[in-house]
Amino acid sequence: MKTPFFNCVTAVISKDLRAEIRARELVSVMALFALLSLLVFSFALELDKGAREEAVSGVLWVTLVFASLLGFNRSMSQERDQGNLDALLLAPVARTAIFVGKLLGNFIFTLIVGLAMLPLMTMLYGLNLLDGWIILTEAIGIFGLATIGTLLATMTVQTRAREALLPIALLPIALPFLLTAVRATKGILGGAPASEWQGALGMLAAISVIYLVLCLLLYEYIVEE
Amino acid sequence: MGGKTKSTTLDLRMETSPQPRLLRILTVFTILGFAGTLVLGFAVAGTDIQQGEIQRIFYIHMPSFFGAFTAFGLTVVGGIIYLARKSETWDRIALAGVEVGLAFSLINLLTGSIWARPIWNTWWTWDPRLTSAAIMCLTYAAYLMLRAGIDDPGKRRAFMSVYGILAFVTVLITLFIIRIVPETIHPVIVGASPQNAQGGFEATSGVVIALLPSLLLWLTLMPITIMWHRVRLEARIEALNLLKLQALSE
Amino acid sequence: MMMMKTAIAIATLLIAPFAIGAVYAEDGEGASTPYFQTTTFNAPIIEDWENQSTDDIAQFHLAAEQATIRTASLATGDVIAAVESELDALTGSQVSPPIYSDKVNLADGTWHVLAYDLDEATTASVMARRAGERTVVISFVERDPAARTVVLTLARTDDAQDDAGREIALALDAIGGSLPSLLKQADNVTLPSGDWVVYSSDGAAAMGMVFGNDSYVALREGAPGDLAALADAWNRTLLGFFITPDNSRYLALGLAVVFAILGTLMGSHYWRDRSLRKDLALLEQLAGEEG
Repeated sequence: MKTPFFNCVTAVISKDLRAEIRARELVSVMALFALLSLLVFSFALELDKGAREEAVSGVLWVTLVFASLLGFNRSMSQERDQGNLDALLLAPVARTAIFVGKLLGNFIFTLIVGLAMLPLMTMLYGLNLLDGWIILTEAIGIFGLATIGTLLATMTVQTRAREALLPIALLPIALPFLLTAVRATKGILGGAPASEWQGALGMLAAISVIYLVLCLLLYEYIVEE
Repeated sequence: MGGKTKSTTLDLRMETSPQPRLLRILTVFTILGFAGTLVLGFAVAGTDIQQGEIQRIFYIHMPSFFGAFTAFGLTVVGGIIYLARKSETWDRIALAGVEVGLAFSLINLLTGSIWARPIWNTWWTWDPRLTSAAIMCLTYAAYLMLRAGIDDPGKRRAFMSVYGILAFVTVLITLFIIRIVPETIHPVIVGASPQNAQGGFEATSGVVIALLPSLLLWLTLMPITIMWHRVRLEARIEALNLLKLQALSE
Repeated sequence: MMMMKTAIAIATLLIAPFAIGAVYAEDGEGASTPYFQTTTFNAPIIEDWENQSTDDIAQFHLAAEQATIRTASLATGDVIAAVESELDALTGSQVSPPIYSDKVNLADGTWHVLAYDLDEATTASVMARRAGERTVVISFVERDPAARTVVLTLARTDDAQDDAGREIALALDAIGGSLPSLLKQADNVTLPSGDWVVYSSDGAAAMGMVFGNDSYVALREGAPGDLAALADAWNRTLLGFFITPDNSRYLALGLAVVFAILGTLMGSHYWRDRSLRKDLALLEQLAGEEG
């Protein structure tokens, strides 16, 4: 008897959400990191307006990637330390349902941080980032990051070095997201015609889908005992 | 207990037994072929008018990338078959692919850098294609680190199969980066869009013909022969580790 | 027998391309670009131009167009000071503020791109880059009173466009003057430095060439001279400046690296195999002692 797929997915998400509302461990850490990172960048770069337009999309995505690394690591460590993962795996549910549940949880938390960064950066850098297309780019990019982040964190959390390995494993594989997302964001910010950045956005979506399919296929192999 | 040790020793003996004849033939041909491509590219082929002698490095630079492509591709194949069949041999093939591919892509990266110094007047520039090639190397270096960090053999094989499949995306990105980020100055010799290329040269029939054997060799014989040796070595290492474990538990 | 067949098959597969390669791989076409070498840099020698080089500057003069191209490396880190001292040495006239000033990123770093109207007759265009404690200045000076010639390097603004048309328009806007802002009659010419697009109208001409992520643009108004010769010589100087003429040492280094990496790979196989055999011998010895 297996629990239906979607019940299981929603159960995993609501578990994560409830834990987060109670402990506020994930979003607060990620948000604090993002804030610090933005401040450090704005001091370190001392940008004039032209250079800012060039650099802002890079700053946004680099900050997002590192913040999400923190989040993925923490979320999987919690599962493991509290023995949740083993319990989940013992339960008669589809492995992919667990993956999708964790993925959506990670996605929601990172997206909250990502969305909160936009008004903050608008203030700090004097550029309007509150744009529907930028939000869409962020949503797709973060979804892609969460996909491979969830898979790789599940993997690295079972290794000796744990937290240290996730950045090494994730960053190179996340590069396609970074490349295309930065490109799309830059185009949207610079007010370039849609034809110039929609290709990058489409590519970002396509890569996200490719990784999602790969991860859905491969997840069961990294949680089997 | 004693009987089991003996049988494992026997396995190990078998692995250290003389190489299969096909492997020996392949080894000889790889060495001969490599020597041949060197002669062809470095002695027979003409000197490029604009770039001078350094252009000859191209006869290794580009083929070595495709050698890495074959090796990393075999890592993907090995990963998929391992996950499907749990056959350790295919995991060894995947590992061998990463090691050989990494060495080849290092050759690719370093020869490119050495070419860039006299032609672009710099060892390195943050060109999209150079960057993505460097990241490809780092991805597979991460593979080896990750692999060393997992103790449980079953988990290690499964995880690394998964990672080897995912990592191949960076290889594809390096191949197709000019479509995503067009402002690369890296010359494109095969295929379209040499428009931005800086330091390209005309792929005359002479260049293509001198390149072809080298390309074929790096694409097939080089990775396959070296990987085969590596796979056999890995089998011996694994058998020995098993022996050591048994010796300890006795 | 199987093995024999396989061996023959592989040999044939290998030999065929090698045989074709050995027969058809072309020998060098001989004449390569001659270079003038100073102690600090190399500059390609421009044929047909009068060579006025000294030990530490490369200078070429074309009397017909009253044009001079000069490359020098100055012992100062101040780019603007270096440019002004070069222009002073070349023309002797007071250096006025530049009519064009920008920077471009080339593969080896950031270059300053400057243009000056020095007096009624003289225009100067300069590319300069700081390299450590020195500054390299490549200048183009044209003294024909009847013409005004400017050569500029601009970052490309549109990847989709094949030619330098857009950068020519930008350069025309930036230079202003009396050049008609839109020139008609596009044409293409192939010169030793590359493929150029040419726009011309009465009393004005513009040429542009795409190389890397930049466009190289030459503009001229006034007496119709041989703009193609000027633009080509300027670009061969610029692009040739990057290339180290005798680079066989780099080739040797490259080969050494290839052998080093392949050697390390094989060496690590051998080394691991040897320690493996040692361990095995030890284990067997231990087993023997116990038994």
